Amino acid sequence: MRMKVPWVMLFFGLLVSQAAAQTQLRFVSWRSEAPAVWEQLIAGFEASHPQVKVVREVGPHSSTEFHDLVTQKLRNRDPQMDVFFMDVIWPGEFAAAGWALPLDEFFSTNRQKEFLRAPIEANRYDGRIFGVPLFVDAGMLYFRKDLLAKYQRPPPRTWPELVDSAKLILAQERDPYLTGYSAQFKQYEGLICNMMEFIMGNGAALWDEQQLKSALASGQATQAVRFVRDQIIRTISHRGVLAYQEPESLALFTQGKALFHRNWPYAWEVANDPQRSKVAGRVGVMPLPSFPGHKSVATLGGWQLGISRFSRHPRLAWQFVDYMTSHEAQKQIALATGRGPARAALYRDAEVLAKHPHFSARYETFVLAEPRPRTPVYLPLSNIMQRYFSSAIAIADSNIDQLARVASRDMDRVLDLLRERPRP
Amino acid sequence: MNRSHDPVWRFLAPSVLFVATFSLYPIIDSFRLSFYRMILTLPWLGQKFVGWQNYQDLLGDPVALQSLLTSLTFVAVTTPIEVLLGLAMAVVLNESFRGRGWLRAVMLVPWAIPTVVASQMWRFIFNDRYGLFNFIWFGDATDRYWAPLAEPGLALLSIMVADIWKTSSFAALIILAGLQAIPRELYEAASIDGAGAWQKFRHITFPLVKPALLLALLFRTIDALKVFDLVFVMTQGGPADTTNVLQFYGYKKSFAEGMIGYGSTIAVAVFSLSLIFSLVYIRLLGARLLGREKPA
Repeated sequence: MRMKVPWVMLFFGLLVSQAAAQTQLRFVSWRSEAPAVWEQLIAGFEASHPQVKVVREVGPHSSTEFHDLVTQKLRNRDPQMDVFFMDVIWPGEFAAAGWALPLDEFFSTNRQKEFLRAPIEANRYDGRIFGVPLFVDAGMLYFRKDLLAKYQRPPPRTWPELVDSAKLILAQERDPYLTGYSAQFKQYEGLICNMMEFIMGNGAALWDEQQLKSALASGQATQAVRFVRDQIIRTISHRGVLAYQEPESLALFTQGKALFHRNWPYAWEVANDPQRSKVAGRVGVMPLPSFPGHKSVATLGGWQLGISRFSRHPRLAWQFVDYMTSHEAQKQIALATGRGPARAALYRDAEVLAKHPHFSARYETFVLAEPRPRTPVYLPLSNIMQRYFSSAIAIADSNIDQLARVASRDMDRVLDLLRERPRP
Repeated sequence: MNRSHDPVWRFLAPSVLFVATFSLYPIIDSFRLSFYRMILTLPWLGQKFVGWQNYQDLLGDPVALQSLLTSLTFVAVTTPIEVLLGLAMAVVLNESFRGRGWLRAVMLVPWAIPTVVASQMWRFIFNDRYGLFNFIWFGDATDRYWAPLAEPGLALLSIMVADIWKTSSFAALIILAGLQAIPRELYEAASIDGAGAWQKFRHITFPLVKPALLLALLFRTIDALKVFDLVFVMTQGGPADTTNVLQFYGYKKSFAEGMIGYGSTIAVAVFSLSLIFSLVYIRLLGARLLGREKPA
């Protein structure tokens, strides 16, 4: 027993000397589609900052579950976590709660201009900036080029056109496995993204940002919801889509069992990879349809890097964030993953365009993408809307007007909390 | 003798401390928080004492009442089935036959699998395209395939099936322990008196195993009332909110929405319900079981 004491002392001695020599930066992210590139980039950062060791903590991929993990650390004021991934819907919440460090001191307005406008706006709260965009997402429509060509149908510009083409092709193909439209209609965050595209594509909105009121009960909003229930779910999709998130809906499409598919840009790489997709080379992509007379709307998605207010090394953390969101790093990530970079210049970069020719067409979609409501009470609003949308479309004879009124009343009640804020 | 010098207390201290820190303190703190309005994402609202306001809100919250109903339905359907299946399993496993030890181990497998893993497995089984359930039921007639987790009328039922599969063996385990405590002589005597298998079950096994049955029922009821992981993995409360059990609703309020006060109120409600159920069962179990513990 006595012999152990010097060993223990040696061990702690080493630990202390290690700590003195190196600063650890803990980086909480989910696992990338191209982990090798991330490892390489982090190794590059460590090489240029020999006193820093980046410790990675890999969390779940699902936004909701990742939120649980990160907020758990933040509400406990965990000084261990320095840098973290932030979904595009969180900056308002993290800023108001005092969890995310305001970055204005480091991230000047001029440098912000190098990024796309929509994600920068999403990271702003009360005039300050709380995150640096890493990559952007926007909903897009994928379709089977071969099937549309076979029946001489053009890529659909409007939702009724999409439904007509799907009806025609489903009737002719007589394949019981084939479904017309595969998307994310499960009761979860993705449902908001999908329904918002229908609602805003009909000239309506989820909420009125100025008045802090719900806009779900408007005629145009309920009309869009009714269209999804009657024309999409009941007519051209099978009921299973009501339980689908991204992976299941994409799997259906890559198996060649869906004609149209709504997903984020990453689906392009998967759908065209012969290893993972039976329809590689037969896939088309375009902006989502809208309703006649209205403009197409894509929901803005994407991830940011944020710094914890409780980090002991904010300056080093910023150097790391700056490095990971630099032109060069974003280029590497874009080349490897096909996710849309957040820096505008990369959409004109010859090397990126050579690998992903469709990026130039996507630029417009990304620039025009609409954010979900930017407010610290987004999550309560989201849960109310998820309940409403799911009830409205999953039940064939749902009373949509009544459900919309209830959801609006509940949303207004949550939004009223914001009015109690003392004005500075 | 001075009580504080009694070594009993020194031996008890670690476990008392443990229970106090990890059970008692959180329960008391939940009670305290349920009287406050505290929203993590709106720090300027502060931590305001609101008295019974949260409880009034809870009673007037249609989503909470719906969740309560969903939870109670879940309890009412799953627990009797689980205990009956557990009884059947225990009676079989109490007989001596070749391979009994092996079968006992196999029976416990569902209970030994972590719930999250089992939930994921059932999610695959109920998948509308490649799920085993559809394949067994409909074979190649894919146009008739169901999507149980997408149907408001079937999603809760699917979760109940998963729960029954998962926890019946737990009930069996408790009941088996009860069966083994029954003295062999009673059966021998009954045999001599010419009693058949059913008569033995009816007049010996059942009355003597009743305390174990009620105990299994108590454990299952409390667990079913707090069901969370199955819902979290399989449906996230959907579709149309039909699987939004009370515990899951409380989790969403506390952890996703940061509404600590209201979330605690829901937690207290679940706790109180469990307590009421426990008290009722313990009364039913009677002084007999508890009385046996007392020294004569």
